[in-house]
Amino acid sequence: MSGNTAPRMKSEAGLLDIWRRLRKNPLAMFGLFIVVLLIFFAITADVIAPYKYYEQNLINSFQSPSKEHLFGTDEFGRDILSRIIHGSRISLQVGLIAVGISVIFGGFFGAVAGYYGGRIDNLIMRGMDILLSIPSILLAIAIAASLGPGLYNMMVAVGISTTPQYARIIRGSVLSLRGQEFVEAAKAVGSSDTRIIMKHILPNCLAPIIVQSTLGVASAILTAAGLSFIGLGIQPPTPEWGAMLSGGREYIRDYAYMTVFPGLAIMITILALNFLGDGLRDVLDPKLKR
Amino acid sequence: MKGKFSSKVAVLAVAAVVLVAMFAVPALAKDTLTVANIYDARSLDPIIQNEVAASNAICHINETLIELTDEGNPVPLLAETFEQLDSTTYKFVLRKGVKFHNGDPFTAADVLYTIERAKSPLGSAIKQYPEIIESAEAPDDHTVVIKIKYPFTPFWGTIAHTSLAIVNKRAVEEKGDMYPLEPVGTGPFFVKEWVKNDRLTLERFEDYWGKKPEYTTLVIRSIPESVNRTIELETGAIDVAFRIPVSDVTRVKEHNDLDVIGGFEHSVTYMGFNCEKEPWSNPKVREAIALALDINGARHAVFRGTGLTPVSIVPPTIKYTDKELPAPKRDLEKAKQLLKEAGVQLPLKAQIWSNSYKPRVDLAQIFQAQLKEVGIEVEAKVLEWGAYLDGLKLGEHDMFILGWVISSVGPDGIFSGIVHSKGGSNYSRFFNEEIDALIDQGKTMPDGPEREALYKKLQQLVGDARPMLYLYNEENFFGVNKNVQNFRPSPRGYHNVTGVTFKE
Amino acid sequence: MLKYIVKRIFSLIPVLLGVAFIVFTLLYLTPGDPARIVLGEQATEEALAEFREKEGLNDPFLVQFGNYVWKAVTKGDIGRSYMTRRSVANEIMSAFPSTLKLALSCVIAAVLLGIPIGILSAIRQNTLFDNITRFLAIVGLSMPVFWQGVLLILLFSVKLRWFPASGFDTWATLVLPTLTLACNPLAVITRMTRSSMLEVVRQDYIRTARAKGQTEQIVIWRHALGNALIPIVTVIGLQFGSLLAGAVLTESIFSIPGVGRLMVDAIKMRDYPVVQGGVLFIAVAFSFVNLMVDLLYAWIDPRIRAQYR
Repeated sequence: MSGNTAPRMKSEAGLLDIWRRLRKNPLAMFGLFIVVLLIFFAITADVIAPYKYYEQNLINSFQSPSKEHLFGTDEFGRDILSRIIHGSRISLQVGLIAVGISVIFGGFFGAVAGYYGGRIDNLIMRGMDILLSIPSILLAIAIAASLGPGLYNMMVAVGISTTPQYARIIRGSVLSLRGQEFVEAAKAVGSSDTRIIMKHILPNCLAPIIVQSTLGVASAILTAAGLSFIGLGIQPPTPEWGAMLSGGREYIRDYAYMTVFPGLAIMITILALNFLGDGLRDVLDPKLKR
Repeated sequence: MKGKFSSKVAVLAVAAVVLVAMFAVPALAKDTLTVANIYDARSLDPIIQNEVAASNAICHINETLIELTDEGNPVPLLAETFEQLDSTTYKFVLRKGVKFHNGDPFTAADVLYTIERAKSPLGSAIKQYPEIIESAEAPDDHTVVIKIKYPFTPFWGTIAHTSLAIVNKRAVEEKGDMYPLEPVGTGPFFVKEWVKNDRLTLERFEDYWGKKPEYTTLVIRSIPESVNRTIELETGAIDVAFRIPVSDVTRVKEHNDLDVIGGFEHSVTYMGFNCEKEPWSNPKVREAIALALDINGARHAVFRGTGLTPVSIVPPTIKYTDKELPAPKRDLEKAKQLLKEAGVQLPLKAQIWSNSYKPRVDLAQIFQAQLKEVGIEVEAKVLEWGAYLDGLKLGEHDMFILGWVISSVGPDGIFSGIVHSKGGSNYSRFFNEEIDALIDQGKTMPDGPEREALYKKLQQLVGDARPMLYLYNEENFFGVNKNVQNFRPSPRGYHNVTGVTFKE
Repeated sequence: MLKYIVKRIFSLIPVLLGVAFIVFTLLYLTPGDPARIVLGEQATEEALAEFREKEGLNDPFLVQFGNYVWKAVTKGDIGRSYMTRRSVANEIMSAFPSTLKLALSCVIAAVLLGIPIGILSAIRQNTLFDNITRFLAIVGLSMPVFWQGVLLILLFSVKLRWFPASGFDTWATLVLPTLTLACNPLAVITRMTRSSMLEVVRQDYIRTARAKGQTEQIVIWRHALGNALIPIVTVIGLQFGSLLAGAVLTESIFSIPGVGRLMVDAIKMRDYPVVQGGVLFIAVAFSFVNLMVDLLYAWIDPRIRAQYR
């Protein structure tokens, strides 16, 4: 047991330290603020949205932004602001779950490959190479097409398509930790492989996972919006930002706000996540600093 | 030093932008007509695809024996005269002195080859057209006699379909895999260059037998984004834009150099019920839905008042359509009453399926809101084309939105396609013996008042039985530059622009 | 060197087999009967059956896969498009030039702007210029391409009428797609150049060069850049590779007849042979670019060259 106390202690003490250092980075703090705000919107969407996102009012369609409808209304007279607020729920869900899928699968394969090395490593990483040689957007499109449309299928498609990237990163960190003393010590006291990986190795490669995941949520949201944009995404009347943007394209010349607001929502979200991810990287993983 | 460098970069960048901007709008010679369609043809080989985008290109390159007028009457094209000898035999006397683009003369052998080729496995996509042909013979070089399997009144439509446009045997065999890119026909234009999914450039065929077009080059571009089609029209990069969106109609109309021409196609879009599934099998429930919906209002919202709300399954451009049938009317009280009588448990959960064509998705969403008012909770489900047809085949659906385009002439096609119990697209899973018998009878009956009476009766019967509700006849809009004359859209859905002229 | 290249090419074989297998599996699981979609709504049952039989769609999965691989290996035949009946190789080769043109113009734009900006940013670390550059680079990474494309069309095609919104023949038609698509690689290249330069500038030999009294220009351009180039070349290669894979969204917004659009259309229309062939082609192109990058390393850095012997 004694083998794992030292690194754990370090990471707990580090949390405050990380926060202190992160606070010095204004862009990262801005990112964090937006992300927290989005999470707040997502949780309280039903309460704070001024209208129901599916509520139609055909007489009231194509209203420019006004006091009643801050972001205007769409072709069915639905309130765009309310739809964007509800959309934050969809986007965060897609981002988190897709990245969750990637982290779980990528983490598993990466850890196993890195820990055992040799043939297993070779086999797994060749498999990942195969997936990596198909561009992830194309892979996501193909998976989305084979699963059919829908929110959950979209998450799975995006999640699987980015799995190999996580596997690579985690394998790398595991590889560098494998030979370290505290792992050897755990082995010496007879801990099982699963236990060593879960208790000793993975907690110590959290830094790159956290960084990659933060940036990954951004790119997952972007990919999902792209899938919706080309019509392989979610079902109406779900207010997905990419789908809203795509739907407003036809009216862009008269009612540009229909495309501008969802686009802004996507961009700000991605920007915030990227700022946060970059800041975290600077703090957590100076080696990766770009 | 460093400062100088970055200012140099800035200067270069500005210079580049200015340079490119100067060449941004290419000058157009007036001997070129440029039209823009939504999609490109998949193939220029007439028998590969049954699609209007292909027909739109092919009708300028290859010609059929006869042509149909918009009213559906046959007129000569490569056949100078034609007659029906008996109920299953047709005779065509071919035009003399016609040349293919490769210089070969056009003879009866080409017609036989074309038919034989269309019936071969290569033509499986258009098989339903030549299938009716039993045999074709050539008593001499300029006569062809075609026998069909059973009496079939819409046969003129079959012969006039672009899938039976005459091809040249030597060219097909010589070019092999390249043939679909460099087709050879007798038409007024031949293919100069084809950049797939971008532009097809056609040149005037100087040895054309008929009236030659007044311009030398025809460019058919494919621009899927509707906004982009309108922009290109406004900037003068294209002369005719097919199917501009309703949201752009006013803008184009108000433009000084542009006009809008509207037109209907031989088509109808409907919402079908799964008549084999509870509770849609109950005619009362179907009637209740009809009363619960404001179809006319929905159409107005989606198409901004353009198009028509159909009263009959037969599109208004088609022979024997009955325009006197009652129009749909909303009556929420009566709808609720009928649902109660039918013993339907409210709230009823149901799905409306559609493919991703935007007006259909929009309608499904409006219906979703309207049906809520009578206690039916609808989920609008958008499926991609392949999954959509598969699901419909399996019969898992409740309601679905689908369209039908009549490619041959007369009302027969739509009834035998989507109403007849053996119809390949009867996704309503509807079965009515009397209606089936009438459809079979109408197919073989010669044109005349008797046939008209039969189809009027069919329209009424189907309307009352309600296997589907008719949603809209879409009106298509064409943006046209004012110096373009004699452009007339055709209800067939593809448009021959050979006769277009330019105003000086 | 040659031996190394040959080895690399051989190592592609299992990857391509794997790619083919994955795509085959995905397509097999995809709902929708290709026969029905290809032949159309009004096709007869016989025609459908005939089509399925001819295309081997009734065969068991592994038999279909085996046949595909066998034909590809023995005859170099990767099938015919269901839609156009032309060979898949022809279909891809007619779409590829557009994609290549777009990818090249994006990479050139990104390199010409990204490397100088990255260097300046590194030289003036923590100045206003550096901060703005870093900020803009993240913004560039965060722009959804499809939104950017639509906005550029709105501004430059609709409002200003400077550049056409569609078509792909003149230079002018290249401008908007390039502006849309180059943002991301530009941001990546700028960031990489900056960080790589910062790393190198701290090294001893730079200090030595400075100590020897060489001008700052020579130090930066010759000594530092030369050594910082390797990671930069890597990201350029990666960016170029992914651009070749087809800028799916950009191609569809600007109606560009490239590989990305071909693939999306083929996936939607269940044109299995084109999807198969297209993904394989992209995998090969991707690997080819990676090989080129590796060879470029060797050319830049004699130390690596020595390893390939």
